[in-house]
Amino acid sequence: MTDRRDPLLKVEGLSLSYQTRQGELQAIRDVSFELARGSALGLVGESGCGKTSVANCLMRLLPDSARLSAGRVLLDGQDILLLTEEEMRLLRWRRISMVFQAAMNVLDPVYRVGQQIVEAIETHGVESTEPAARERVARLFRLVGLDPKLTEHYPHEFSGGMRQRAVIAMALSCDPDLMIADEPTTALDVIVQDRILRELKDIQQQLAMSLIYISHDIAVVAEVTDVVGVMYAGRLVEMGDTADVFRAPAHPYTAALMSSFPSISGERRPLISLPGEPPNLSDPPQGCPFHPRCAYATDVCRVEYPPEVRAGSHRAACWHPLDATLVPQG
Amino acid sequence: MVLTLFLIITLTFFLVEAQPGDYASFYVLNPDLPPEVKDQIRAAFGLDRPVWQQYLIHLKNTVTGNLGVSFGNYPRPVIDVLAERVPRTLVLFLTATAVSFYIGFFLGKAIAWRRGGLFEYATTISGAVLFTAFTPAFALMMIWVFAFKLGWFPVGKFLDPLVWRGADVSANYVFGNMLLSAGAFIVFALLVMLLLKRFGRAVPSVVALPIVLGGAAVIVAAWAISGIGGLALDIVKHMVLPVATLTLISFAGTMLLTRNSMLETIREDYVMAARAKGLPDKQVRDRHAARNAMLPVVTSLVYSLIFAIDGSVIIESVFSWPGTGLTLLQAVRSEDLPLVMGAILFIGVLSLLAHVVVDVLYVYLDPRIRYQ
Repeated sequence: MTDRRDPLLKVEGLSLSYQTRQGELQAIRDVSFELARGSALGLVGESGCGKTSVANCLMRLLPDSARLSAGRVLLDGQDILLLTEEEMRLLRWRRISMVFQAAMNVLDPVYRVGQQIVEAIETHGVESTEPAARERVARLFRLVGLDPKLTEHYPHEFSGGMRQRAVIAMALSCDPDLMIADEPTTALDVIVQDRILRELKDIQQQLAMSLIYISHDIAVVAEVTDVVGVMYAGRLVEMGDTADVFRAPAHPYTAALMSSFPSISGERRPLISLPGEPPNLSDPPQGCPFHPRCAYATDVCRVEYPPEVRAGSHRAACWHPLDATLVPQG
Repeated sequence: MVLTLFLIITLTFFLVEAQPGDYASFYVLNPDLPPEVKDQIRAAFGLDRPVWQQYLIHLKNTVTGNLGVSFGNYPRPVIDVLAERVPRTLVLFLTATAVSFYIGFFLGKAIAWRRGGLFEYATTISGAVLFTAFTPAFALMMIWVFAFKLGWFPVGKFLDPLVWRGADVSANYVFGNMLLSAGAFIVFALLVMLLLKRFGRAVPSVVALPIVLGGAAVIVAAWAISGIGGLALDIVKHMVLPVATLTLISFAGTMLLTRNSMLETIREDYVMAARAKGLPDKQVRDRHAARNAMLPVVTSLVYSLIFAIDGSVIIESVFSWPGTGLTLLQAVRSEDLPLVMGAILFIGVLSLLAHVVVDVLYVYLDPRIRYQ
């Protein structure tokens, strides 16, 4: 049986590529992380760094052009990459649910919002009768701060914030063990964003659910998550407790990302935008993919991918970690 | 709506008026008509008056439902001729449109969902070939293969005189009853579906098909007992080939449109979300992707319906099907002008009705329209 202390999710050496006209595009390379039950993990990085691809791997919702070349995704010790499509279908939403990026179009325009949630509940047999399923939807609506009467409305009658709440209610509808939130608040204004974020955090703690929060906004990730992983060019370049990583970033990319966002509580400082572009993933640079934009790059960075350095749970892949307490292992 | 109708009447009048062979002189000089009819028509149409007065009177007559007397079918009024011919056209084309829409939508949905493969190529190419085929030639080919070579169906016409010799009922009576049965069956099937939807959870949906088939069996049995079933069967036999030809020509349009529309909705986030919710593949396809892909296809339906009825001139001529299209053609040939105007007016009114029906359907299909 599974031990409560075992991690809920364990991703080992995950690599994913897409076949494109320009050749093979390496979207994810050798990504490994663990997620404990009831904790929240953040994935940050620029657009196109592979955050959403990781999420899609966990749901196994990949386009035909995608190829998983290596790695395992263990949910309670079971590799979900080996499940049949039918087994995977029954696992989706029941064990892992998702709040999508660009949630505005996630609700089907021709059905009532409540009906779309009932549909998921009935598919997974979470409630046995339709009235019970409807009652559950009403409860979920109250949980996310929506009037239960709104279940009988159509998506186009909802505001952006209301839709996002409805989508969160939908993601919670089957009591998943893990919820993936992929930039859930990007399309909303800052005030609504902040309120929804706080509610999401509350709900996650209340239900003791695990959460993977994907965003390019490190301020949001710092607020919501316990553990954070920083992705660059398909690789996880730094990972550790959120507090550790943001207090003393080891990878120059993390540091650059932080200095390009304003700090509310910290001292006033000029914002430094990171020069250059993320690398072309179908032809990544040799060595450390960040070296063309890195101020600390030396010859070795241009030739060889850096080894992992770590201090406790804090790890990074860099030849010249900014935090010198991180040292190579073994 | 009223304005459009007014424009149709006006345009029809002046187009016919502009034809060589003046309207008035045609009436007066027609040797086939006895003098008293000339007087009657002259009085009814006011042919001795200037064009603008004729126009106003024509307008008044049309609005009050008086379309005049058909020359070719003298002394039957135009409205009477049309009342006989219009249902025949409608049945032919509504059936063909419904069948081709169903087949086209079903195939389009399937080939968009499973892209690639022999099936997609085969259906797309054959659909496109049929869609672009020259209609009269294709119709003749159908007749040659299925009526002449194989002898499965009659060559053309509405009924077989040999079967009807000695029948004590008129073709219109039988046909009218057939229409009533078909209407009753459709209402019955819709009711069954509606009731099942309401109490869907208590009754498994598998029972729907036997109930509907049972209804059909009752109607067929009633026809068999009535004694005129053989006559009805004769009409049905004559219908098969034109309906099949029309269907083959037009299903590809719906199919290709559905396919394109599906390929767009498949990329939508709500389809991805439906899959993420763990819904079965079929449910994602039918309830989410195809349901939304249907909207533009329904819009196109109104146009294809109007085109089909326009095309009735060709198809009905080839199959000698005595509907509105053939009537229009014969009327034009024999300069039966009141009938020409009546037939054109009918096609215009039908287009208007088709637009209204699709508007209503669209409101039902897309909740976003309802509140605007």
